[in-house]
Amino acid sequence: MKKVFLFLRSMRFGMILLCLIMILSLAGSLIPQGEEAMTYVRAYGAGAASWIIRLGIDDLFHSWYFLLIMGLLCGNLLLCSILRFPKTLRTMEGLKRQAKEAEWDHPLAPGQAEKIRDRLSAMHFRRDGNLYTAHGIGAYGSFLVHLSILLILLFGSLTLMTPKIQDLTVLPGDSLTLADGTEVTCLSFRIENEKGELDYTSLLRAISPGGDREKEQEVRVNEPLRFGQYKIYQQTYGTAGRVLIQNEGNGAEETLYLTEPAFLSIDSRNGVYFQTLYPGYIQEEDGSYTLITSTAMGYADPVYSVQSISEGSSASVLAFPGETIRIGEISFIFLEPEEYPGLRIKTLSPFLYGGLYFGFGLIVAALYLCFFHTPVCVRVEEEGVVIRASKEVPELRAQLDESGQGEFSI
Amino acid sequence: MNVLLLISILLYFAAMAVQFAASAGKKAGLHRIAHGILFAGLTAHTAMMVWRGIAAGRLPLANQFEFASGFAWAVAVIGIVLRARLKQEAVLTAALPAAFLILSYAAFQPREIRELMPALRSSWFGLHIGSAVLSYASFAISAGLAVTYLLRLRKGASPEDGTMVRLDYVGYRLICFGFLMLTVVIFSGAIWAEQAWSSWWSWDPKETWALITWIFYAIYLHQRLRMKWRGKRMAILAVIAIILVLFTFAGVNWLLPGLHSYATAG
Ligand code: HEM
Repeated sequence: MKKVFLFLRSMRFGMILLCLIMILSLAGSLIPQGEEAMTYVRAYGAGAASWIIRLGIDDLFHSWYFLLIMGLLCGNLLLCSILRFPKTLRTMEGLKRQAKEAEWDHPLAPGQAEKIRDRLSAMHFRRDGNLYTAHGIGAYGSFLVHLSILLILLFGSLTLMTPKIQDLTVLPGDSLTLADGTEVTCLSFRIENEKGELDYTSLLRAISPGGDREKEQEVRVNEPLRFGQYKIYQQTYGTAGRVLIQNEGNGAEETLYLTEPAFLSIDSRNGVYFQTLYPGYIQEEDGSYTLITSTAMGYADPVYSVQSISEGSSASVLAFPGETIRIGEISFIFLEPEEYPGLRIKTLSPFLYGGLYFGFGLIVAALYLCFFHTPVCVRVEEEGVVIRASKEVPELRAQLDESGQGEFSI
Repeated sequence: MNVLLLISILLYFAAMAVQFAASAGKKAGLHRIAHGILFAGLTAHTAMMVWRGIAAGRLPLANQFEFASGFAWAVAVIGIVLRARLKQEAVLTAALPAAFLILSYAAFQPREIRELMPALRSSWFGLHIGSAVLSYASFAISAGLAVTYLLRLRKGASPEDGTMVRLDYVGYRLICFGFLMLTVVIFSGAIWAEQAWSSWWSWDPKETWALITWIFYAIYLHQRLRMKWRGKRMAILAVIAIILVLFTFAGVNWLLPGLHSYATAG
């Protein structure tokens, strides 16, 4: 039992787990993920495809064995870090003891010791009798690296697995009401900026449920809107038809956006049935139109396909922007289409981002400690010098080496 | 710009040839000539990058050509700085072939300057790409030193020999620095991805390969620190590792398209 525990907390087991993660990641990057079964059959043949599906290799990074390995890595790191922590705390003590007990690394000629002491003081070593110490804080480097990996794995998996994500479209001028009553209004949307560069920008305003908090911001790729637990991203865009409806009877008018088939009518009998908006058309020599359905070139020559319905008879017509269809007292004036944004709304506690980003910062700082702050203790006496460090420190040896030129040379 | 690119490649090649000759014949005078040629090459290379940055109105590190050019540039700069600090020609001898080969690879990439796609317009761009260039360059030089180590070993040098111990150590220190920078690359990229695509990690091939490389170097560091591996084993790991780095850098773009595919665009 003890042996099993010792293995589970050992670095050897940790390295085996890291190797397994590498191998699985390699497989996951070479074998396409999340495809239909037929894709695997076509690429690898029926036999291999059935194994890929059965072993969950088509969604490897969410498979039970991948998650198990990650879990074991966390356990291994946790055990190893916690159990080593008391030793970490005593690193400098240990180095001092070793330095006191050791034979000379470098015997010194008379008078040399003073120069070495001066050099160590100039290098900001702390003096305690004959012992000079530096970079004690570096002892925590590897502990903090492992701690930050645990933080990143913990907060990282929570930020990946727990958020609620909604992809919604909103027309300029319209609002979305989110689950807790927060209202998000799209004030405007544009595809290009003033310089003519593509930048897909929505101007959004968010208002908290009680109306006590309000934020207005341009949202574009790389600049989501943060509002409490929400993060709102510019995700996609679409093109909507627009029609201005004027009622000559009472002088009322209204502009409507057209994104899906709709019957526009006041008395629910007469009106215009909007079918679709085509991005372009080609006029043939005989005057007929060939309509373009592909949006690859944008909506260069938009045209509305509608049915006008009046007194029980209907007629299919093409309406170009600027054209008017009159039915009784109602005028339907077709306008230039307009783009509208598709927004991604992510609901997640800012605390979880905080934990993740803290982990990112901590690991960088901790690695810096590991690599550039090696704890070291130097014992200097008239007869000689002893250098004890928790890692190899040849630069320091060379700097203190009276015969060298103060350089580390190959 | 094409002329400056060609001049830089030729000068890096010439510097490499003279440096090799100098190392073989142990001639200090030849080394000085190699340094002079390298400086001239680096000046032309820097001028090309500055010119391109001004023409594009941004950091010239946005596509495969620019990144490869930045990578070669960082190899040359780190090589020069380390040689000056350590007074060791071996570092330059290892760095020069890397700088020459990477810049030659760059020359085969599409070079026209295009408008930066929206996802790349971010304040994280400089940190993410800048640290990637430094990290890859450190790894490349450490691999060059590892190859030097293995060649000398084959020629009968003893692993206990002072020169060999130092080659091993400088390679290790470069990997420490490269690992720190690669960590910055991965985590600045994660924050950036969260801003741009709403998810900090999506197992995109480039991300996955950066992680594979990172884990491999982590294993390297553990083997050195705890298992006390030195010399030949470390050198072999450093050479395997650079293959992973190069695949992450170039192979993924061509073979495994994903979110980072813009890197292949001109
Ligand atoms: C991706 C995962 C890991 C990373 C990035 C990592 C990183 C590091 C780093 C940077 C160091 C310091 C190296 C140096 O100072 O040269 C270190 C030390 C160490 N690591 Fe890890 N590590 C990881 C996983 C593990 C695992 C799974 C174990 C298993 C127990 C482990 C055990 C150790 C031990 C025992 C040390 C030595 C600590 C010391 O002597 O102060 N590490 N690690």
